[in-house]
Amino acid sequence: MKKNLFVLVIASMLLAACGGTKPATTQAKSEITFMMWGAPEEQTVWQAVVDDFHIANPNITVKVEVSDWDSYWTKLNTLIAGGTPPDVFAMDAPLYLDWQSRGALLDLQPYIDATPGFLDGIYPQTLSAYKVGNDYYGLPRDFQTIVLFYNKGMFDKAGVAYPSENWTYADLLTAAKTLTQDTNGDGKIEQYGLWTDTWDMELFWSEAIWANGGDIINNDHTKTLIGEGGARDAWSYIDSLYKEGVMPKPSTAGEYGGDLFQSGNAAMTTIGHWAVPGYVQSGIKFGVAPMPTGPAGRATSVNSAGFVVSKDSKNPDAAFEFIKFALSITGQKRLAELGFAIPVLKSVAESDSYLKQPGDLDQKVFLDSLAFAHMKPVFKGYEEWAGVVGDGLTPIWDGEAELNATLDEVIASADEVLTKNK
Amino acid sequence: MQYGLKPLGREKLWLWVMLTPTLIGLAFGTIGSLLATLVLSFYEWDLIRPPQWAGFSNYAALFQNETYIKAFSNTITFAVLYVPGVVILSLFVAVLLNRKIGGLGIFRTIYFLPTVTSAVATALVWNMIYGKDTGILNYFLESFGMSPVCWLCSNNAMMSVVIVNIWGAIGEGMIIFLAGLTAIPRDYYEAASMDGANDAQQFFKITLPLITPSIFFQTLISAINAFQAYDYIYMLTRRGQGDSTVPVAVYSIYRNAFNFFRMGTASAQAIQLALLVAVFMGIMFWWERNYVVYE
Amino acid sequence: MSSSTQKIILDILSYAILIFGAITMLFPFLWMLSVSFRIPAQQYSRSIIPDPITIQNYIDLWKNLPDHSFPYLVFNSFKISTLTAAGQLITCAMAAFAFAIVNFKGRNLLFSLLLATMMIPSQVSLIPNFIIFKYLHLIGTQWPLILPAFWGGAFGTFLLRQYFLTIPRDLVDAARIDGASLFGIFWKIYLPLSKPALAALTIFVFKDAWNDLLHPLIYLPTDMHQTTLTVGLAFFQQQLQMGGKFTVLMAGAFLSILPLLFIFFIAQKQFIEGIALSGVKR
Repeated sequence: MKKNLFVLVIASMLLAACGGTKPATTQAKSEITFMMWGAPEEQTVWQAVVDDFHIANPNITVKVEVSDWDSYWTKLNTLIAGGTPPDVFAMDAPLYLDWQSRGALLDLQPYIDATPGFLDGIYPQTLSAYKVGNDYYGLPRDFQTIVLFYNKGMFDKAGVAYPSENWTYADLLTAAKTLTQDTNGDGKIEQYGLWTDTWDMELFWSEAIWANGGDIINNDHTKTLIGEGGARDAWSYIDSLYKEGVMPKPSTAGEYGGDLFQSGNAAMTTIGHWAVPGYVQSGIKFGVAPMPTGPAGRATSVNSAGFVVSKDSKNPDAAFEFIKFALSITGQKRLAELGFAIPVLKSVAESDSYLKQPGDLDQKVFLDSLAFAHMKPVFKGYEEWAGVVGDGLTPIWDGEAELNATLDEVIASADEVLTKNK
Repeated sequence: MQYGLKPLGREKLWLWVMLTPTLIGLAFGTIGSLLATLVLSFYEWDLIRPPQWAGFSNYAALFQNETYIKAFSNTITFAVLYVPGVVILSLFVAVLLNRKIGGLGIFRTIYFLPTVTSAVATALVWNMIYGKDTGILNYFLESFGMSPVCWLCSNNAMMSVVIVNIWGAIGEGMIIFLAGLTAIPRDYYEAASMDGANDAQQFFKITLPLITPSIFFQTLISAINAFQAYDYIYMLTRRGQGDSTVPVAVYSIYRNAFNFFRMGTASAQAIQLALLVAVFMGIMFWWERNYVVYE
Repeated sequence: MSSSTQKIILDILSYAILIFGAITMLFPFLWMLSVSFRIPAQQYSRSIIPDPITIQNYIDLWKNLPDHSFPYLVFNSFKISTLTAAGQLITCAMAAFAFAIVNFKGRNLLFSLLLATMMIPSQVSLIPNFIIFKYLHLIGTQWPLILPAFWGGAFGTFLLRQYFLTIPRDLVDAARIDGASLFGIFWKIYLPLSKPALAALTIFVFKDAWNDLLHPLIYLPTDMHQTTLTVGLAFFQQQLQMGGKFTVLMAGAFLSILPLLFIFFIAQKQFIEGIALSGVKR
């Protein structure tokens, strides 16, 4: 072990000493690093994709590094600030512009131009988030629509009909009320009708706002719209979920770990496909339905995770080769079978690889939701804005602040963030 | 502090040999932490593009940012509750244990347990203990006929996290004080006993003055820890992906640096925090010069 | 009231307080242990004795870590923490001796500077330090975690300096008259008399290195064979916590503190000897 370290140190010094002398021929062996966030299972998944890639491209070695979400961004920032960025790394669409605008990302357009027809099979909704001007500085790898999950056992026991595609938000509340139960008679609720995250917009509140005819942010990203028109109705609906006690307060949810649907303490949740493997593993019998309809129709959110290449990558060709593979039919099929997400390649998403996954889950629901999905907004300063809104509204949900006054304050601070990040 | 051995002749060389590692570390730490942070606090740096000169604007902005002011004042409140709590309780435990009573080893081990464990591990179990509906603490309260308390709701959260932090630090203080107490020669007490001094008098006349170096150390270290505390706080009270319901300064620094790409702001915050600690340290050193008894 | 009855009353009072305190200190660990042996359905049960008792959580944990990486994670943590503790003991003791006992020019300035480095939160110094290590070509190795331990440290130096200051100075004067050298005084008088403080420092440094999440995360590859136990467990924790799988989480938490308890018991022996020793000498 110790010897290895010395060899490593010496090797890295030698490498530095003769840096730049390596000829950049395609024949040369190159090594690239691919960094992403994800669950431990996803590491196994991506190692499988990489193994396939190695067979097709024996000259390129890909090193996969997976961390949990928080660790990922800390490590990525340090590596980039320190000038040792990974070649390819994962990007969450809402944060993409923050990275692109700081010049961290390589313009992939020349590579795309050199690969005719490369983007043809990809869902255009997922591509749009990554286009800046006429160029792509990143590409989506998979996408997530938000749907309604329900625990079949709890519905059966309570004698409530499973959610249908005709459900309205009012139906959701009614069912949630019946399903909220003190199952062991100790005077406390063990089974909530619904659990979802109302800190970030993705899981619930953006959908509710859109279904009520409201919107999140204006087109040139200068004004927060979550207090206007139908949006207020969406907020009072969410407030009523907490006030009626059908949804645990954020402070209560914490004591169950976070995801009450997975821990078996909630009958319904709204979440994306990434949660499926965990739910299956927990042994819950569950089904999915589209998001309910509101006064302004039906709406859900679509978000995509993507790949970007570091501007300072030493092997941009190899990096693009890897992205190309991950977006190929082989790569996308592999990802689909692994069950965390929906492939961005239309032909794969509509094939048995995605639709006929093990289990009886109706995979089509996720795909069909795309028809009424709104893109999760992508704008500069997203994370700070989301923090101001999420942290600012939490006291309302914990029952410590009044809805409308707090909302007005939060919107004012959110607009300040937009000005600051202009 | 005018005491000290004079190195003779070649001993000067020995002295600097003994100090060399520290000097290297000091160069590294001074450049890496102090200087870099100070310099960056006058720049805007998004971690990628070259830093831009910003003058005092990062500092000026600190006084206008309400969120940060809240975090900063929370940090001070936390320190005011935490530091005396740790120092007094751990000194108390150490003095009791120093009475040479049986089972010393067992008690010392038990009191020290929280110190050797990581916040990552123990925050989870505290989360279970503090649970409003499922927690064991409320279960105890209710079995005594009291009504359950929402320990981690924002009005109680500060007190709850202070308790956990003190719980985690008593062991450390206890070890420091025990080490200090054992250095007090026994014959001082014997002489005092002969003069008819009771235990309380012995404590205030002998123990307390002679333990002041340890008190000085522990107070300063606790203060530094308090100003940089965030692990338990945010593991117990964070909601969603955002801040804690008890926002503290260090986490704000972290978010500015790593989530919002404002290294300049983060550095200015760090300098401000360090200055506060430095002022406190200055007071402590003044106190040391005048009241701390060294042999 | 005679002094012996007074002593008995005080002893009883001390015991009562200490036992109450001990229960408070110990309870979270007992609870952790208890939950780790429960079946998931009973994780919120109020009984401290699990019924039935299961070791399934520990088995699950082992299976969760890929490629039998648990021994590697423990080895890496152990190696880094041990070297860190050794480095700090040697270098801090030497510096503390100089700062506490020797009179030299610039002593106060150097000491203040040393303390000042402690006041910058590591969150901001992380990136500058990373850049320095990059220029030393040590990223991806364990050196950025181990090397700084051999460069002394503010906390350890400060701790030992405070302790050295309490050692009676007449011992030094006597030794000086006998012709002892500077290093001789350090080696023969200060180190042996400081065993309690040295043992305390060992434990503090070891546990800080063991529990460090930030630095191993940044400097080591995120590979279950190369990183530390704390990083490895944190990777699994987020997901387990979301799903409310507290029984497995508690098993992981308990396993992560077990090696520290082991170290503590070893150091504890030193600690007791040290106390006995310094007691006899007076």
